[in-house]
Amino acid sequence: MAEAAILREGKAKKSFLDELREMVPAGNLSLCLTCGLCSSGCPATGLEDMDPRKFLRMLVLGMDEEVLKSDWPWMCTMCQRCVYVCPMKIDIPSMIFNIRASRPRDQRPKGIRNSCDVAVASDTCSAMGTPVEDFKFVVNDVLEEYRAAQPEFADMEAPIDKAGAEFFINQNSREPMTEPDEMVPLWKILHLAKVDWTYGSKAWAAENYCLFLADNESWETLVRKKAAMADELDCKTYLNTE
Amino acid sequence: MDKCIACGECAAKCPKKVTDTFNAGLATRKAIYVEYPQAVPLKYAIDAGSCIYLKNGKCGFCAKVCPTKAINFEEKPVSVTLQVGSVVLAPGFSTFDPQKLDTYQYSQYKNVITSLEMERLLSATGPFNGHLVRPSDHREPKKIAWLQCIGSRDINRCDHGYCSSVCCMYAVKEAVIAKEHSAEPLDTAIFYMDMRTYGKEFESYYKRAEEEKGVRFLRTRVHTILEDRNTQDLVLRFVDEDGKLIDERFDMVVLSVGMETSKELAALARRLEIELNADNFAATDCFSPVKTSRDGIYVCGAFQEPKDIPYSVMEASAAACWAEADLAPARGTLTKTKTFPEERQVADEEARIGVFVCNCGTNIGGIVNVPEVAEMAKGLPGVTYVEENLFTCSQDSQEKIKDIIEKKGLNRVVVAACTPRTHEALFQETLRDAGLNKYLFEMANIRNQCSWVHSKEKDAATAKAKDLVRMAVARTRLINSLGQPTISVEPSALVIGGGIAGMTSALGLADQGYQVYLVEKEGQLGGNARALLSTWKGDNVGERLAEMIARVTGHQRIAVHTATSVKASSGFIGNFETVVSGGGGDKVLRHGAVVVATGAEEYKPKEYLSGRDPRVFTHLQLDQAIAAGDPRLDSADTVVFIQCVGSREEERPYCSKVCCTHSIKAAIRFKERKPDSQVFIIYRDIRTYGQREYLYKEAREKGVIFIRYDLDEKPEVSDKGDTLAVVVRDHVLGRKIELHANLLVLAAAIVPRDNETLAQMFKLSCNSDKFFNEAHAKLRPVEFATAGIFLAGMAHYPKPIEESIAQAAAAASRAAVTLSKESITVEGVVSHVQQFMCRACGECERACPFNAIAVQEVEEGLRAAVVKEALCKGCGMCAVACPTGAASVRHFGDRSVLTMVETAFAAEA
Repeated sequence: MAEAAILREGKAKKSFLDELREMVPAGNLSLCLTCGLCSSGCPATGLEDMDPRKFLRMLVLGMDEEVLKSDWPWMCTMCQRCVYVCPMKIDIPSMIFNIRASRPRDQRPKGIRNSCDVAVASDTCSAMGTPVEDFKFVVNDVLEEYRAAQPEFADMEAPIDKAGAEFFINQNSREPMTEPDEMVPLWKILHLAKVDWTYGSKAWAAENYCLFLADNESWETLVRKKAAMADELDCKTYLNTE
Repeated sequence: MDKCIACGECAAKCPKKVTDTFNAGLATRKAIYVEYPQAVPLKYAIDAGSCIYLKNGKCGFCAKVCPTKAINFEEKPVSVTLQVGSVVLAPGFSTFDPQKLDTYQYSQYKNVITSLEMERLLSATGPFNGHLVRPSDHREPKKIAWLQCIGSRDINRCDHGYCSSVCCMYAVKEAVIAKEHSAEPLDTAIFYMDMRTYGKEFESYYKRAEEEKGVRFLRTRVHTILEDRNTQDLVLRFVDEDGKLIDERFDMVVLSVGMETSKELAALARRLEIELNADNFAATDCFSPVKTSRDGIYVCGAFQEPKDIPYSVMEASAAACWAEADLAPARGTLTKTKTFPEERQVADEEARIGVFVCNCGTNIGGIVNVPEVAEMAKGLPGVTYVEENLFTCSQDSQEKIKDIIEKKGLNRVVVAACTPRTHEALFQETLRDAGLNKYLFEMANIRNQCSWVHSKEKDAATAKAKDLVRMAVARTRLINSLGQPTISVEPSALVIGGGIAGMTSALGLADQGYQVYLVEKEGQLGGNARALLSTWKGDNVGERLAEMIARVTGHQRIAVHTATSVKASSGFIGNFETVVSGGGGDKVLRHGAVVVATGAEEYKPKEYLSGRDPRVFTHLQLDQAIAAGDPRLDSADTVVFIQCVGSREEERPYCSKVCCTHSIKAAIRFKERKPDSQVFIIYRDIRTYGQREYLYKEAREKGVIFIRYDLDEKPEVSDKGDTLAVVVRDHVLGRKIELHANLLVLAAAIVPRDNETLAQMFKLSCNSDKFFNEAHAKLRPVEFATAGIFLAGMAHYPKPIEESIAQAAAAASRAAVTLSKESITVEGVVSHVQQFMCRACGECERACPFNAIAVQEVEEGLRAAVVKEALCKGCGMCAVACPTGAASVRHFGDRSVLTMVETAFAAEA
């Protein structure tokens, strides 16, 4: 390997890991046994020749520059399979979140950033920018089609803005926009279970790319908008389908 | 319970099958049962929760078939009050329940089992008689994986931050045994974090498993197990050391579950008012490792901390030592001695043999035609009485045998029944009750070696039973009474070595009332401990050592001989005579037992600039520098530790056991005194077993960085002027790291002293690493094969203070077994030499494993072999080695053995 050796001289310097430890005080970030359990379960293992164990190791060894340069943290799905099994309960997802947040917003991945920006700008909170009318049209159109084609579901409903419904149910934008039939199985279940539910015409989108962008402010804006819609309709329970 | 003869008729008839918890639920047993074949006492018991009679009042089959009327359904639990002077707790441990680890699906996937279930699968007395099959389809597995640290070293999925100490070693053992049990080649893989084979001979076993047996060791952990629904095979997903994802299919997965204290046991501890530590183990300190927080209550085994069998056994004897010291004034006040009538002299009588043929219920009688065997026996020469019994071993049969011996004037007895292993002592006692010497007895094994193995060939079994009885009777005509000489015991001990182990043994014996001669080669007591700062639990070694030395030197029954060495020794158990030489010249000491506690020493490394650069320290040098307040320690910005310096290498293949803990303890100290220093530990496996694991965690928490190296790429150290450069490859990133150390600490091996001299003097043996060999690693861990000599401390193997102390107290306890007797009775079956045939060649002396026979001058100008009966175990090695036939073993002389052979091959009379 022609790679230069990692050099550690003199006293311990304040490193990025120290900052992260302050940000995630219950995250046990120093306790790594390098056992590999996290990497064995991580869907991002092997991407960029990186995995959670290697990434945390770079932080432990003070390789801050390489850590901050790496795009690997943006490949994490926040699924939490790592911390679920880690014998030292190291909160890798929170660590990744804070590493993302430490990058200037304009240098974060464009796709995620755009999705967040579009959602914040949209009444529906949709990362795809789906307008209110389009959503209403697609839902009703698909509903009518199934009612006609499947007589046993002739009474099935897909309410929008039904005030006082028990459940406020959100919806990932991808289905109404690209795979509308994929919405129907859930409707059928809710119908058969006689669940009193509704979509909102606004703020119905389930996805929240601002979380993945580590943009706390926008993330909060979206969550508040969605909660407010459910409150406006006087629903008792917000049911997140994401 | 007294009536039960464990014939098993009850269990054979019992209609109620229940899950066999001893076999980890892999098999069934009956509602009346013995828990396992080795149970003591071997008596059947009713599981009241399952018994049909006790639940519904109907059934009672067991009572109907029991030949001795031993079953009593009315028996109720009773409370007994005992007045005792001390209590020893040895309640053991429970295994971690892996059901809550949902990623491994132990309760859903049949082929995911625990290591305890694996033990039963591999056991000859297990559910499949040792035939290795997997639970789902009873097919032989071709690939088995072991997953380590299930319920250990984990603060997330369970609350057990400690290491369970034994799982690495048992997993290696299970993998090796599983391979041996497989007809087809078996692939075994162990998934682990650190391989903790730190015990005596463990590292070499681990290496053999890997290199010779082909057990695979994968340093990684499995995230999830997925079951193939059709085949019930299991797919394991893991990354390799480079971070590459791998899916591998196995037939079976064994979860190496850890040890814990059960809730019931914790509740018992609260009732006993003894303190438990945070992990619910009994709290103890390193200088009194088996004393609980409450005076008079002692603890041993895994209830103190997870541990293996050898150390549990040592602790058990240690607990006995301290309990014995408490009770010393009361010793013997409650014991009763059984008396026997005076023995009849039978040497001049014609043989009058009684033969008792046992049916053993249907065990023998159902296969062998017992009446025919008995009838045949009546016609044999020397036989005057023959009887068949349903159970010859029952209590009423003993009374009957005694009666018949007296009435018929029998002078020898043959019992044709089960096995002498379990029943010889019982019948011998009956003979003694009837005034016969116990050696006038012989047993023919017509059950274990006949009816059980030939159950399908009844006629042949009967013929064989007759042969066995004819052989036994023929031999019995030739046997005679044997004397059992007694030898007196000198109630004092010689303890060689005045370190922590030797002083502990000395105090243990002196506190029990025995005189002790403590011999130390150096000018002062204390040994290696004089250089140590603190134990891993933080006890101040200097202070505790001073207290110990004060107690030893002030003890009226301990004579301390410093600057003294052992020159020569002779004699045997109970009667040793040893010459020691010190400042005042030679002195002869007479003593009944010896404790060898000569310790070990730190290896003087040649590697890593050691001895050439003042910035390079060993552990002992570091502790001494700290004690001396060396200013270089506090000013160091970067401190590097290198582990396994001289250990676990070709030249010295064993693990020195204490170095990981010692380095980590020291690393924490550096970080505490100077948080902005950089501290690195370069290691191969971190072996902080038991609760020492918390030190490892604390070190990481404080920022100590651990870098692992392999033997084929050791760290490189070079002098850079101001600093020492240490270059090592990082085990996770695969990249080289260059450290600039102000201090370099080497975890130098612990090496044996010159043990050969003592070994020759006392006829002791050493292992290939030159540490002394105990008689048996598990069953007799503090005894030598030579009777009356005991072993403690690092002369046995490297170990920390608490283990040296436990072993030393154990040695004292075992030595006290001898010293507490006024005399020792020697077994009659010993070797003897016919002097006129002996030509003093010494073959016997070389062959004897017990130092029991030696050539010496028996009278002026005549040399011959002489047997020390006190040491002889009657093994017969000397008789085999003897070229002239001068040496032979009493009771098993050539004539009586050959007569059996001739009888076996003679045409039936």
